Parts: sequence; structure tokens; C-alpha cells
Amino acid sequence: MVKLKEVAETATFAWSHDSMPLMATGTLAGAMDDTFSNDSSLQFWDVLNKQQSLAKFSLESKFTSLAWSPSSEKYEKGLLAGSFENGSIQLWNPKLLLENSDLNAGSVAEYKKHTGSALQVKFNPLQSHILGSSGTKGEIYIWDSNKGSSFTPGQAMSPMDKVSSFSWNNSQSHIFASAGNTTYTSIWELKAKREVLQLSYSGANLSVVEWHPTESTKLVTASDTDGNPVILTWDLRKHTTPESILQGHRKGVLSLDWCKQDPSLLLSSGKDDSTILWNPLTGQKLCEYPSLPNWVHETKFAPKLPDVFASASFDKKILVQSLQDTSPPVSAKVNSANEDDFWNQLSSTDTQQPVFEVKQAPVWLQRPVSGTFGFGGKIVVVKKEQNKSVVEISSYKGSSTVKEAAEKLES
Amino acid sequence: LVTIGNAHDDLIHDAVLDYYGKRLATCSSDKTIKIFEVDGETHKLVETLKGHDGPVWQVSWAHPKFGVILASCSYDGKVLIWKEENGVWSNIAEHGVHQASVNSISWAPSEYGAVLLCTSSDGKASVVEFLEDGSQKTMVFQAHAIGANAGSWAPPHKDNVKERRFVTGGCDNLVKIWKLDPQANNYIEEAVLSGHTDWVRDVAWSSSLLSKSYIATASQDRTVFIWTNESIGNHSGWKKQLLTADKFPDVCWRASWSPSGNVLAISSGDNRVTLWKESLTGKWESAGEVDQ
Repeated sequence: MVKLKEVAETATFAWSHDSMPLMATGTLAGAMDDTFSNDSSLQFWDVLNKQQSLAKFSLESKFTSLAWSPSSEKYEKGLLAGSFENGSIQLWNPKLLLENSDLNAGSVAEYKKHTGSALQVKFNPLQSHILGSSGTKGEIYIWDSNKGSSFTPGQAMSPMDKVSSFSWNNSQSHIFASAGNTTYTSIWELKAKREVLQLSYSGANLSVVEWHPTESTKLVTASDTDGNPVILTWDLRKHTTPESILQGHRKGVLSLDWCKQDPSLLLSSGKDDSTILWNPLTGQKLCEYPSLPNWVHETKFAPKLPDVFASASFDKKILVQSLQDTSPPVSAKVNSANEDDFWNQLSSTDTQQPVFEVKQAPVWLQRPVSGTFGFGGKIVVVKKEQNKSVVEISSYKGSSTVKEAAEKLES
Repeated sequence: LVTIGNAHDDLIHDAVLDYYGKRLATCSSDKTIKIFEVDGETHKLVETLKGHDGPVWQVSWAHPKFGVILASCSYDGKVLIWKEENGVWSNIAEHGVHQASVNSISWAPSEYGAVLLCTSSDGKASVVEFLEDGSQKTMVFQAHAIGANAGSWAPPHKDNVKERRFVTGGCDNLVKIWKLDPQANNYIEEAVLSGHTDWVRDVAWSSSLLSKSYIATASQDRTVFIWTNESIGNHSGWKKQLLTADKFPDVCWRASWSPSGNVLAISSGDNRVTLWKESLTGKWESAGEVDQ
């Protein structure tokens, strides 16, 4: 990893859908810092360019989650949604917040339906005016931000407690999954208005859930059980047993993010203070990133710049880093002949480095097609045909070149 | 004319002919580089070069006056230099200053010496000069906020060999022109060209003999811009023009100018390589497609 930025906040966060993304952070509920402060703030950061936050707003309640929708005709910079400890869901127009530095001017809506804490809010990936929110006492609401209306997804199979994880299916807008501090993950269908399936696995909670970026029947769950911190991949067509089991976390898993551009990349983070990159299709652990000083409660790819991701820890730290780091090991970086210099250099060097087990390049770097000219009227073309590449050398009709160039010079 | 299937065990990302059109170098996600001898309609695999520890993205032949030299860049963060002597290929140098995938390499005009421009996902560009005694002189600088995807040299200035420029494109959607500052012995940003709304995938500076400078930039936003400048060195001198008003059906991955500079090839993610020419009225027109 190449460390790009550190934000000194104990906060939940959301990335904007820009190719040079902004980050929004909201003070995390349930995490006391060393000052025992009750202050809560919403902040915006340009993590790739600037040190200071772009804007800061004070709020009454602390955040449990943040979500940022893609841009739409109505909202150029998308919508920002926060879920709160006091049960409310707030919607803002981030463009107005950044322009006016006034929280009220940027406020779009406030929803108060949850009777306990709201724990998670997510925009529907296919219909960005639809949101889902989940909370304590098994409460789940589906909101339409155009109409300001809401409904519940219907009857649960069994009574639930805290629903701390909520994930929309990425290809079927009426399907979502929910999970919490129970041994099962629920699949819901909004047309039928009911819970249609439950996934369970003995010996572990299925407390975190995330859908496959493109295949509607596939999803991944993770366990926050310290004794069995497994990540399981599932295909709902055979929902009684998981497809594969990813083992590597030493304590409970708290967060998952499946890369939208490359289904062979999945991030997870947890109570063992670590962030791990997996290939969930092969079950391989690709990389373990340097650990943070405390539980890593959240990890997310920047949606339009997936070379970059952030991990948020309970210890006043959100680390923004790049997926890959090919720099030589620390022992090679610190190579001073002088003893004092050696210790000085060592103490000022980041001693932790990611451990790569497989060199797997993300799909967005894999150029599938290439045409380059050679001399003598030749062009070499590489094309992808049925996942194989074919190379062709052909001639092109360009022999009138000298004549035309001469005409152009004269004109 | 010549078709080579099954050359590698995984996807091929680049294939380039040498100056004489006799040798073809290909590189792949299988971590290897292959050298083929091409003669008329026949081809023969002569060597497989192994040394990279990740997918190899690009290969580039040096000018023949330096010998039979090939550079390669990889996801492993390294650039390797390969040389053939008496039929034997060997790895003669390594350039390892980048902290992430090296996405492009481009040899400078041969007048400057054996000088290679590299761009990397760590956001940096580097210019490395390979000296005759085997040593290297390297300049590294921040080029794009994150992810420099491509770089291309300007043709040499006809009077002043110290007036050197190149162009880079990156994940910040920007295209930048860099100029050598001979006093500081470094490259400085001379112009920032904005217009693309997504990653710039490739940049190509035409080596045209015409008085005007031409740069083609291909982007993830499915467009190609042609940037022209009649008085180079003037910051506001760059004018942009969309190659075609309609967006391409898919990502534009690559732009390549013909050696004489009057035909542009654009490779797009729908598996097509289209050819373009400037008309006498200054508009860009389709000049067909390769393989038709």
C-alpha cells in the first residue's frame, strides 16, 4: 500500500462517485474517544489533494453510517444520506453543503420512523432515489426520496434484533439482504413484500452481507464471531451450503466491500485490526494490509477510482491507501552505514508493509485491445476473442501520405 | 496478412513491430514477453523472455542505433531492458523507482540518447537515461494525483536538442504537457489540458513533420480529443477538438499515429481498431477500419 492520506477521526465515511473522489465523514456513534466528547460533525475531504477538511458541520446526534449516491439530473453531486444513533435518517445535497457551508441550506429531507437507533442506510444502486435503512428491533424501511414516502419490506420469517448490515442487490432493484447479530442472513423481495430466504451456517453469526457486483444470485457474508471469523460466498441457487470459505481473519469480521469494477476483488476488515484483499472467486487471500491501531469497522473502495480504498478504525484513524505497493521491503529502505542514522531512519519509516501472496492485476488495468503502427504501412492489432488474444499484422491504405502532407504544407 | 493465435497463456496487452518490421514483440498477463521473426506472411517464435513478476503491459523497441533493445513494463512495478546479441537475449538493466504498476513506456527521440519515459499507477512519471557505461540517470516526479496511465514524447525540436517535451494522461482525467528545464535538470509542467470526464487511457504525440503539433488522447469516457498547437510553448495555445461528435461504443484504450503522422488508429473496448484522417478543411474523418 502507498499511504495517501490519514484522517484523524473516529468516523463512518462515504466516497463520492467522482473519478477524483471526495470523502464525507461522520462522527461514529458508540465510540468514545479520549476526550469523552459528545460532539458530532459531518466533514468533507479532498483526500487526494488537500490536508484540511473542505467543510465541517456540527450535528446533534452521532452517525451510524453514511451513503453517497451517484450524480443524477436533479443532484449534480449526488445525494448524501446519514443514519443516526437517535433513529433519524438525514438527506443532504452535498453540492449545496460545499458551496454554502450551511447545513440547513443543504438539507433535503429528514426521516424519523425508526423507534430505536438507525444502523445502516444504503442507496439502491439501480434507482438512486430509493434508499433502505435498517436499525434496532428488526426495523427496516424503504424510502422514496422523490416522494418522501416509506414502506416496510413485509413479514420477517423470524423476529429479528439489530439489523446492522443492509445490502441492495446490484442487478435486481427489488431484492436486498439484511444481517445483524444473528446466525442468519435474510434475503428480501419487495414485489412479494416478504423475506424469501434465510442463509445460515453453524457456529458463526452471518452478520455482514454484500452482493456480487453483477451476478444477482451470488453474495458474500462474514461472521463477527471471534471464534469463527469466516467469510462465506454463496450462490442462492444452492443456498443450503456456502460455495467457499475464506479464512484469514483472526477475530470477527465487521465490514465487506466487493469491487464494482472487478468481481475478483473483495475487501474485508475486522476486530483483528486488519484489512484483507481477497479473490472471492478463487478463495485466495491476495494481500493483508498493515494493521490499524484498533478494530477496523469499515473498509470501502472509492467507487470510481478502485485503485484507492479507505479503512476506518475506532482509534481516530481513517487510512486512505492504494491497492498495490511494489516498493522494496523496509530492510532494504533503511540501509544506512551509520548506527545512529539507522535508528533515525527506522523510526521514521513505516515499518509495516502489505504481504502479497498473489500478483493479481485488477481488471481495469488489463488492456484488451491494441492497435499500433509500424513502419512500411503496417499496423499490428491485438484483439480479445473468447478470452484469448489474437495478434494480426496487416497493411493499411495510407500510401498517399507524402502527397497529402505536401498539399497541406503548401496550403 | 499475418495472424498469430495462442501466442501466450493469458491475455496479450501489447504487440509492436521493430523499425524494420522484421521482429514483433508481444507481452501478456502470463508475465512473459515473446519475440517473433516476421517474414512476409510467415512468423516464427524465436524467444520467450521471463523476468517480470506480474502482467506485462507494454513493450517498446529502442532505436536500432542503440542495438537490438527492448523495454518492458509490468504490474510488478518494474521496467526491464532486454538486449539481443548474436541471437542471445538477456536482461541488461532494471528500472525500479515506481511503487505500483508501471503502465506505459516510451523511448525518447533517439537524438536525446537512450532515454525512456515511464508512467505508473503511483501517480508518478519517470525519465531514465541509460548511459554507455551501464549507469542510469533518473528523474522522478509527481505527474497525476493518482494513476499516470500513459506518456508520449514530442518530436525533437529541429534546432534545439534541449527543448524537450512529452505528454502524459492519468486517472485525474487530465492531460499534461511537460518541458525539460535544463537548468534544474528536471521536467516541469507546462500546460494542463482538461476536457475528458473520465480516465485518460492513452496519449499520443504525432511525430508529424508538419509545423503544427498534434496530440491524440483516448479516454475511458469513450471519446478521443485531438489537441493542436501552432506555437508550442504558449500555455493557451492548445486547442481541442473531438475526433468524432458521437461517443465510441466502449472505452478508448489506445491511440497510435502512423509514422508519417497523418493516420490515427483508435482501439476501443468493443474490439475494434478504427482509422482516422484529417481532411483538408481540418475535420477528422473515418478512414476505415483495420480488418475490413
